[in-house]
This record gives sequence, structure tokens and C-alpha cells, in this order.
Amino acid sequence: MAFINYSRREIQLKIVYYGCALCGKTTNLISLHQRINSNQKGELVSLATDADRTLFFDFLSLSTKTLPGFNTRFQLYTVPGQPVYNTTRQLVLKGVDGIVFVVDSHWDKMAENVESFSNLQDNLIQNHLTLATIPYVLQYNKRDLPNAAPIHYLEYTFNNRATKVLSYEAVASKGDGILETLNGVARLLLAKYSKSAGANSNVDVTAAGKAAAASTT
Amino acid sequence: MSSISMLSMEDQIALENQLTAFLQKSESNWSAIVDKGGNLFVQSGDTGDLDLSILCALAAGSFAATHELAKRLGETDFSALYQEGRSMSILMMALEHECLLIVVFSLQTNIGLVRFYAQQLTRLINEGLGAAYQSSLTAEPLQVEGDFDGSERSVFS
Repeated sequence: MAFINYSRREIQLKIVYYGCALCGKTTNLISLHQRINSNQKGELVSLATDADRTLFFDFLSLSTKTLPGFNTRFQLYTVPGQPVYNTTRQLVLKGVDGIVFVVDSHWDKMAENVESFSNLQDNLIQNHLTLATIPYVLQYNKRDLPNAAPIHYLEYTFNNRATKVLSYEAVASKGDGILETLNGVARLLLAKYSKSAGANSNVDVTAAGKAAAASTT
Repeated sequence: MSSISMLSMEDQIALENQLTAFLQKSESNWSAIVDKGGNLFVQSGDTGDLDLSILCALAAGSFAATHELAKRLGETDFSALYQEGRSMSILMMALEHECLLIVVFSLQTNIGLVRFYAQQLTRLINEGLGAAYQSSLTAEPLQVEGDFDGSERSVFS
């Protein structure tokens, strides 16, 4: 849950990158860490196995002065994608403010993607949350694969809801689309604190999602 | 027990003073209150060049993982976690309102002394957190000028 410290004029927000195994969650954080200005980022921490598979989480702290008078600190986490680590995913979701659901565009990974999306919803319920109440965006990663599923298929599969959300195409290994994805979810979270956007972020998320989804190709 | 979403300047100062007094009595190096999501609420003392965000994220994750492990072993109560190091040690204690007390201390002191004063401190801090929670319930939501939802605006570039 977002935490505001008036004494330090700081807001802390937690974003979790979620998705099936090897979909590119850690690659997102590595590429972000390489591209973001050094004065805005902390060290990238990975709790991984010797084979670089995420064991607990990856963590990256990013700061911005976007909100006037406040330092906003975004705490980026990934979850381990392998099915066996479900308890760990539930723990990492504690206190989450926003989610990036990373979809592996490879045709052969569709069943795993769908299973992971369903698992996300189950784990949100464990944390007394739902996709209807928490800001989230979709990232269709690995768009450079020759056998990538078409975007309209991915939209139909993952964004076919009454309230569509923002979705982004990406090639995380090359850094394509990763900043757009992060900016998308960050804006959704910051909108909650905008006088002009109103106090109820979920309403705004829905409106933003509809507008963006309409322009997504 | 609900978590705390904001901390006023008065609450911050009161909690910080309690941590500082605790550091003096227990001869510890650094102490902090974080929530179980890894957000840093208040801290006092010195950790050198350590990135506090990372320290808090790892502490919250570590406590949560060990708590889960204890639950699966049939333990119904899990209130503290201690890591004994060669030069620096860490004690974590559960607080109310889904918070956690973290204490880092060196060989200058010992776990018995730190734990004794930490137990006293948790009672005081729980009262402070209770007051902070009550004031966060009635506080006006933070609203600032600006349209942060503009589709072209970049937060990071």
C-alpha cells in the first residue's frame, strides 16, 4: 500500500512485475536499470539461483520529482515465475500498489501466460485485492520473435474485459517498450494524487485504460 | 489490523525519538520501522553507505518468508527473527499495524541487551503506531496540482 511520509515529503509506491517463467520480468528490470539516469535509480538486487532464475524477487528502487513538493519512490519488484514458487509470489504481492503483467508473445507460451494471469488473480484475492481495484498494465514482450502471437489475439486473450487497460508492445532484451510500460503504470499510480484527476484512482484507471486501449494497435 | 498509509510530521518525530533513545540504551547501530511491504517509515542511526530501500525490502521479504515457514511448521505465533553475524547482527520484531522493527547492531553490544530494550520499545512503538493509524483515518487525502495521467507525460526517461 502506498505510504506517504509528510516529514520527509516522500511517497513510496510498490510496483510488481508478474508473469510466467522466463517471460522477461527480470530482463525488464535489468534494462530499466541500464537506461534510467543514475540520480534516479538505486542498485538492482536479484535473489536468484546460480542459473539466474529468480528465487525470491528482484528489486529496483527509482525516484522521481514528478509530484510537486514530493519525492516519489517507486519500488519495483519481480516475482519468481516458476509455478512451484507460488507462496513466494503471494509474499511479494504484499502491499502492492500497481502491477505490470508481462506476457510472453511466443505462441507456445500462451497456456503458461493464461495460467499465470489466473494465478495473479488468485493471489490478489489472498491479499484482499482484485484486478478491478488495483491499477495494472499489460506488456506484450518478445515482439521480435518470428512466431509471436498477433497483438489482436493477445488483446482478446488478456484485455477482453469491460474495462480495458493500457497495453504495451516490448522487446525487453533490447530495451524497447520497457520505459513506456513503466511510465504507463507510474502515471496510473500518480493520478491518484492529482487534484484534476480526482481522488478515486480506480475510476481514472478505467478511463485511461479505455482511451489507451482504443489507440493500441 | 489495518496498515498505515501516512505519517504526519509529529508522528514521525515521536517515533524517531523513541528509536534514538533505544539506540543509546541498547548500544545498537541502526534501527528502523518498516511495513511488511518493505516501505521505510522511520529510521535512526547510521548504516554507512547502505541503500536503505534495499535493506528494508530484503528485511521485509526475509521476515515474511520465515514467518510463512514457521506457519507451515505449525507455529501460530511468530514475533522475532535474529541473524547473528561475525561483526554485525540483525534483529527483527513484529509490530502492530503490519509493521516491523529492524535493529542492526555490532559486537559492541549483545543480543540479550538489544532484545531486552527492543521488547520495551515495541510496546511504546505500538502505541505510537496506533495513534498514527487513527490520525491517518481522518486525514485529508493528498492532492497536488498537476495532471499526472496525461498520456504523453514521462515519469522516467
